Amino acid sequence: MEEQKKKVRLYALSTCPECKRLRQFLDEHNVKYEVIEVDLLDSGEQWVMTKELKRYNPEVYYPTLVIEEVISGFDGEAIKEALDIK
Amino acid sequence: MTPELLYEILSKYAESQGIQLNKDREYVLEILEGLLTNESRYGYRSCPCRLATGVKEKDADIICPCVYRDPDIKDYGRCYCRLYVSKEWDEGKVKHVKVPERRSKDH
Repeated sequence: MEEQKKKVRLYALSTCPECKRLRQFLDEHNVKYEVIEVDLLDSGEQWVMTKELKRYNPEVYYPTLVIEEVISGFDGEAIKEALDIK
Repeated sequence: MTPELLYEILSKYAESQGIQLNKDREYVLEILEGLLTNESRYGYRSCPCRLATGVKEKDADIICPCVYRDPDIKDYGRCYCRLYVSKEWDEGKVKHVKVPERRSKDH
């Protein structure tokens, strides 16, 4: 199977049903992802993660899914494709 | 308390207020499980769809039913968590949209 190019990170709460459904969806589609269940962290870690989540989504909504594409070096074609530049 | 028993109690409570629980029972039971988890964690049933601090005074507005429930049902037909809904929302007569967070950003 081709290696997944995009990094996927999920900010979730262990208690939130919508978060569970999103995870099921990702699993069903064989998406590799990292999940952070913010409510299970200690208070210092929660502060850090909430701040990080706020950068992506000021609304601080759970679940929030962040999909990032990593481009190594200056690859014009890859940048065009990632940013949908015609 | 079990999610099933809480379901029975809250569905009667919702009806008494002219609203109802989401007809997706499986989803509702998951919310109720989250509420009970938060109750054993913090000592009160804070919203399972939001991050609680564990300090009751700070979380007072998100103890279920949260203070945003009624305005959210009025404007969108459902609460933030999709636990309490209007009859119209449940019957699909109201467009299903994501409910924006009314809570102040300082939380």
